[in-house]
Amino acid sequence: MLNELLLTFAQWLDTHKWSTDIHESIYMYSWIEATHVLTLMIFLGMLCVIDLRMLGVIFPNVPASKIAERLDKPMMIGLVVMLITGFLLFYAIPVRSTQSIWFRIKVVLLILAAINAFMFRAKMQASSGTWDLDPVPPKRVRMGAAASLLLWSGVVITGRTIAYDWFDCHKQLPHFMYWAAGCVNEMAALEP
Amino acid sequence: MDLYPFFDWLDTSMLADISKAYGGVFAVVQMFHLLGMSMLGGMVLVGDLRLLNILLKDVPSELVIENTQKWFTIALAIVMTSGIFMSSAVAMKLYYNEMFWAKMTSLGLGITFVYVIRRPLLKFKHDTLNPWTIKLVAVTSISIWFTVAAAGRWIGFS
Repeated sequence: MLNELLLTFAQWLDTHKWSTDIHESIYMYSWIEATHVLTLMIFLGMLCVIDLRMLGVIFPNVPASKIAERLDKPMMIGLVVMLITGFLLFYAIPVRSTQSIWFRIKVVLLILAAINAFMFRAKMQASSGTWDLDPVPPKRVRMGAAASLLLWSGVVITGRTIAYDWFDCHKQLPHFMYWAAGCVNEMAALEP
Repeated sequence: MDLYPFFDWLDTSMLADISKAYGGVFAVVQMFHLLGMSMLGGMVLVGDLRLLNILLKDVPSELVIENTQKWFTIALAIVMTSGIFMSSAVAMKLYYNEMFWAKMTSLGLGITFVYVIRRPLLKFKHDTLNPWTIKLVAVTSISIWFTVAAAGRWIGFS
């Protein structure tokens, strides 16, 4: 049911003139994608410094909260640019993206990373007074930072693999993969 | 100096055998390249934006530079190692690609700039240096590394 709804939505986006224009333009799609990838250096770069501080391996002599607060703004600017360009990339190729197993895993990881970030931030604000100046923060903070780095690395990795057609709907795939990727027509064709 | 013999060798090396035969391995290495690029970008930006007095203004700039330098070198090692592996998959194509040479030129320039100019200069107490020299170093550094990354992405489009 959800797969059908998502596909219908993607097909509706695909009828938009702007979607086709971006997809078929000689340079626009490349510019958007290049901006999306290069903004990684701002967003993930800042996040990397914050998480490495929470792991206790960089800036041990600077309070952790200071690093997190000061780098938060550029990181959020990077995130907003990545979200806008990411939506435009999806908008340009909505049907294939919706039926990409990698895109789907990426969205799940994005949600998990966002939940982890909010929980991490709340915990940090509640308890930072006790460990803010420690060169190596407590284990629970380090675990949160490690989870953050792993989840965002997963987002980058799955984002990159969207370009590969290993599990595209036109390939011969197991039924589970058709379902996971949302290959509605291919699943219907398999039904007796 | 013509580097054709090197690319010719790389194209038939064991690295090329692996990168051409196993798309999955290539993709995994490419991911490390992207993650390394993100880390490198973060270290460059945090360091240079501090030199420009935009970020971490209440942390001594010497401290920021000292902390980011080590991780910059780690990120550069990740990017270069994964980059050589990725190049082996399309060595001859890259040899004839102008954007690849733009990236290599800017990369060479960036490495020289960091290890020959930026680091030795910033070893001095920053308040003993001309503020405009520090700002010029920061802007040059950001410009060079942005060019490296942008040219790298554009190889895929050219």
